Amino acid sequence: MAEPLLQVEGIHTHIGKHHILQGVSFEVYAGEVTVLLGRNGAGKTTTLRSIMGLLPPSQGRILFKNRAIHHMKPFDIARLGIGFVPEDRGLFNLLTVEENFRVAMLQEAKKSQERLEFILDVFPDLKKFWKAKAGVLSGGQKQMLAIGRPLVNDNALLLIDEPSKGLAPIIIDHLIEAIHRLKEHMMIILVEQNFYMASKLGNVFHLFDDGRTVHKGQMEDLVQNEELKKKYLGISGAG
Amino acid sequence: MNKENFNPVQRFRLRETEERYRNPYFFLKILLLAFFLATPFLFRSFEILDVVLKIIIFSALVASYDIILGYTGIVSLGHVMYFGIGAYLVGIFVGKLGLVSYGYLALAVLIAVVISGILSVLIGFFSLRIRAIFFAMITLAFLEFISILSSQLRSITGGEDGISFKLPHILAIDYSFGRFLGIEVTGRIVSYYLILLVCLILFLLMLRFVQSPVGRVLQSIRDNEQRSIALGYKTYLFQVIASSFASCVAAVTGACFAIWVRYVSPDSSVSVSIMLDVLLMVIVGGMGTLYGGIFGAAFLVITRAFLPKLQTLIVSLLPGVPFAARLSERWLLYFGLLFILIVYFFPKGIVGTAQEMISRRKEE
Amino acid sequence: MSTQQKAWLPALAVIAVFLLPILFISPKTYITLTISGVAMGMLLFLVSSGFSLIFGFMSVLNMAHGALFAWGAYIGFSAFTVINKWTGWGASDSIFLNMMIFLLVLMVAGIGVALLGVVVERLVIRPVYGSHLFQIFITVGAMIVLEELIRMVWGPDDEVMPVPMNFIGSYDLFDVVVSKYPLIAIAVGSALYLIVFMILRRTRLGMIVRAGVENPEMVQVMGHNVYRYFTGVFAAGSALAAIGGGMWATFVKSIHPAMGGEVIVFALIVAIIGGLGSMTGSVVGALMVGLSYNYVAYLIPKAALGITMLLLVVILSIKPTGLFREGT
Repeated sequence: MAEPLLQVEGIHTHIGKHHILQGVSFEVYAGEVTVLLGRNGAGKTTTLRSIMGLLPPSQGRILFKNRAIHHMKPFDIARLGIGFVPEDRGLFNLLTVEENFRVAMLQEAKKSQERLEFILDVFPDLKKFWKAKAGVLSGGQKQMLAIGRPLVNDNALLLIDEPSKGLAPIIIDHLIEAIHRLKEHMMIILVEQNFYMASKLGNVFHLFDDGRTVHKGQMEDLVQNEELKKKYLGISGAG
Repeated sequence: MNKENFNPVQRFRLRETEERYRNPYFFLKILLLAFFLATPFLFRSFEILDVVLKIIIFSALVASYDIILGYTGIVSLGHVMYFGIGAYLVGIFVGKLGLVSYGYLALAVLIAVVISGILSVLIGFFSLRIRAIFFAMITLAFLEFISILSSQLRSITGGEDGISFKLPHILAIDYSFGRFLGIEVTGRIVSYYLILLVCLILFLLMLRFVQSPVGRVLQSIRDNEQRSIALGYKTYLFQVIASSFASCVAAVTGACFAIWVRYVSPDSSVSVSIMLDVLLMVIVGGMGTLYGGIFGAAFLVITRAFLPKLQTLIVSLLPGVPFAARLSERWLLYFGLLFILIVYFFPKGIVGTAQEMISRRKEE
Repeated sequence: MSTQQKAWLPALAVIAVFLLPILFISPKTYITLTISGVAMGMLLFLVSSGFSLIFGFMSVLNMAHGALFAWGAYIGFSAFTVINKWTGWGASDSIFLNMMIFLLVLMVAGIGVALLGVVVERLVIRPVYGSHLFQIFITVGAMIVLEELIRMVWGPDDEVMPVPMNFIGSYDLFDVVVSKYPLIAIAVGSALYLIVFMILRRTRLGMIVRAGVENPEMVQVMGHNVYRYFTGVFAAGSALAAIGGGMWATFVKSIHPAMGGEVIVFALIVAIIGGLGSMTGSVVGALMVGLSYNYVAYLIPKAALGITMLLLVVILSIKPTGLFREGT
């Protein structure tokens, strides 16, 4: 087993008085897409936000490339090579697609330029709407922009929160294809309610329940495991 | 009534009432009330009487503001406009219109209360649905507007100069009841007790309001609005009720103030600087504790009254030092610095922080 | 009303404010009033734009904004006295030299207050990010302190603000009497608006600020140290207020320590009408308030302030977030 790229060790996170995460631990290795699964409110989004430094954990540690990041500010964490695609996509609707990318670019133009070309190859619609305000894009296109943006930097890790939300199945398929191409270049932690998408993309899964990580394993095993699916995800049948 | 058959809410209420008399603070409050009652007899100086009564009036005003700010959680920066309405209505009726009688005095207060209530409902419906911070700014704008209006509408409000007036019969300065317990009971003394009585009633009303079912719903809205909405409460209706109640109280305090100083003017009755004073009193006293208002009012009124004296004292103590004069002149500067520090170190206000520390020690 | 229809609202509102008065006022007076209205609008824009930007970007309510405005006027006052003593440009007859000293004075005021703004942001604003209530409390304290410092440094009395020689007086164009200073105010104000506009639209810095107005959290997530931007925006907003202060002082020809308090409410109203966080909104709002105030002041003097409040109420009833602001 190679060195884990990201280690989350027993974190507890509070939002005000509420004790949301009560002991979350998992590891992420290069070359895998890790999916965080669980019911609504189980703590998956909070975990991503804790990793990103938006909700610093009150207990526990988070290590990225063996470096402690749980007390760092979000902008420093981002510069270490972690990208974040939040649930609401976090687009700047009043800025153009081009400007959205430019805000994201942290490195010299040339390297970013190459990566940008790759991104526009994966998401050709964004090239079409390059000068348009992000707010006028369709749901699927917005998601593409949201995912494409952080890729313009040399990120080793990408956190994606519920990308399939509100999207039509055909768009979801397109997204799945795109993410397949991306996973060769970086690690992805995916939070997904849509089990279909999760099963298509994920290699490893971690199940969340009540703010804790309760189970983990290989995705192919989970697909077969009706008992687990029903207990923690409320899914029965083919899922 | 068998105690065992009480539901949890009733049991809680019963325990609360029982504990009220065992609470050490209860006696402190009685002591304070006794002090206020005895003040005219304890101190012959008019100045001290003036300071104490201003503390009483502003305590009521700050408490009414606290109902909106501390209990309901609405940030309004225009609360003083109701104070001004109360003051000006008294001034206009008794002063401008010359209707010097108890009946008209009472009528003025009544009309002020009605206007304040209606106005606050209108403003509430208009602004409470906008983001909270907008409400703060808009209410400030309204306050400034009314302040400027009162200095512009000369014919009604006497403009910048304001209105001076005399009060009816036993409240008038030249009235004398004769001697009682060593002091001459003038119209001033009578007014003092009248205002003390009124403010006491207001304070008790506010306490009742806060402890009533409506008050508790408001606190729950302040603490967790989402949950309250989920529980079926039309939150903003409650907020409108609270703000109208508080504005009516503020109007009465304004009337009291006008009766005491027998003068209304834009600067002294309805200006943004009065609003700032109220804010400062709340900072010191803390929010969510009606009694904190007494502490905050006392602090501000006393320092305002006596700091200039302190300043002359310092200057006289250090005669040869020119700098001392310059430095002590700018006591307002230290005031401002002090407030910044208080906000920084005591975000719950001094009274609030003290309460927290005491309750924390109790838990241990 | 759908968002599409609402987009026409600002244009309609401005046109209404501009054109309606023609029905009531003679053309010559209309031109004079319009010019002073636009000039007043420019001054209001300078004060309110800083406030609007600071609130839009940092979500900070700065009650001390008026005090910074006053500081700008006072620094301008001292700067003018010093520079004029040194160069004599203020007393000269040449309008070019007059402009030179004027712009120099404004620049000094702007830079001075920008530095002051950095100090204020670090000491007073930082501790209270996220809580509007405490911002109100602490900035009220800061306002008192700043005002008192003015009294300490310059003395508590009113001072006469020196005005460059050739700024006083008026031109006679086609039988219309036009005061000189309003024209200058319009020119300087528009130039500043253009500068701010260019910075926001064409520079990377401006782009990040615009992104931050929409979603400050996301800007952080993308690797930008928002706190440094906060300080910068606060300084810039304060500088704008300071320039507004210097220009306002030149207009009314006097300064006094409490002058900030008078302006802050107007700035507030303009910023809210225009939509907090939008520069264009500040300009449009300021023009509307400035124009309507001048027209109404001519027609019914006492109702002038009332029209501003009316404008506020009407616009907020139709678009509760202000003309150029989306969402909440």
